[in-house]
Amino acid sequence: MSAIVADRIERHAAVDRVFHWVTAASVLALLATGLLPVVGLKFPWVLVHWVSGIVLTLAVLVHLLRSLSWGKLCSIWIRWRDLRGARAGKYTLAQKLMHHALSLTVLITIATGLPMLARIDSPFWERDPYLFAAGTWGVIYVLHGLASLLTLTLAMIHIYFSLLPEKRTYLRAMWNGWITRAELPAEHDPDRWPGPQR
Amino acid sequence: MTPEAVEFVRISRDAWGQEVLEGISWDLLPVAFAIGALVIIGHAIYRLINKSRRT
Repeated sequence: MSAIVADRIERHAAVDRVFHWVTAASVLALLATGLLPVVGLKFPWVLVHWVSGIVLTLAVLVHLLRSLSWGKLCSIWIRWRDLRGARAGKYTLAQKLMHHALSLTVLITIATGLPMLARIDSPFWERDPYLFAAGTWGVIYVLHGLASLLTLTLAMIHIYFSLLPEKRTYLRAMWNGWITRAELPAEHDPDRWPGPQR
Repeated sequence: MTPEAVEFVRISRDAWGQEVLEGISWDLLPVAFAIGALVIIGHAIYRLINKSRRT
């Protein structure tokens, strides 16, 4: 047992795991509250939607601030060797692509969702639907809707791949933080990750 | 009889009769869902074929 514990590699720090699951919960809540009324399921969705949006925004801000270190940026950056099929470092090419695609769509929904807060009343501000011209609101709504639909597609694919038996060690690592060297999938290069410094 | 085209945006008219962009067309929601489902089903079939080739 102690040998197994000694063999563990930390894959995700606790704060990153909290970020992941808070993001996952808020994105699923946002998709459900944003899209279910469209398919005819009527319920009071506005409050849950904007509160989830604020939670997501705060989580992404914390993640962005934490990510601004050279090591973290390098671990997620797509390099030529990733494209040439070299063995992966911490993240595989597919994981990097999913991260970047979801980052883009989530950032667009946040950037367009925040001004939309002006269109609803809340205990903290009064509604001001005339903040922008009608045409500008239209563009904001188109971008928000388009990014939301892309997020739906990406979330479906992300959840599917995370549940595959051969990818389950990644899912477990996202829950409890570690992976053992023996479990490390063959596509990882031990010289790139966990790296000689560990 | 012609098939209905998928609309990409919703457009309404304001009190002055001018066209106003409302947002993305919700016709695209099943398209987004179908793309996700197609990738999942496609990959599941690919896995099954690969698995049966290996055994």
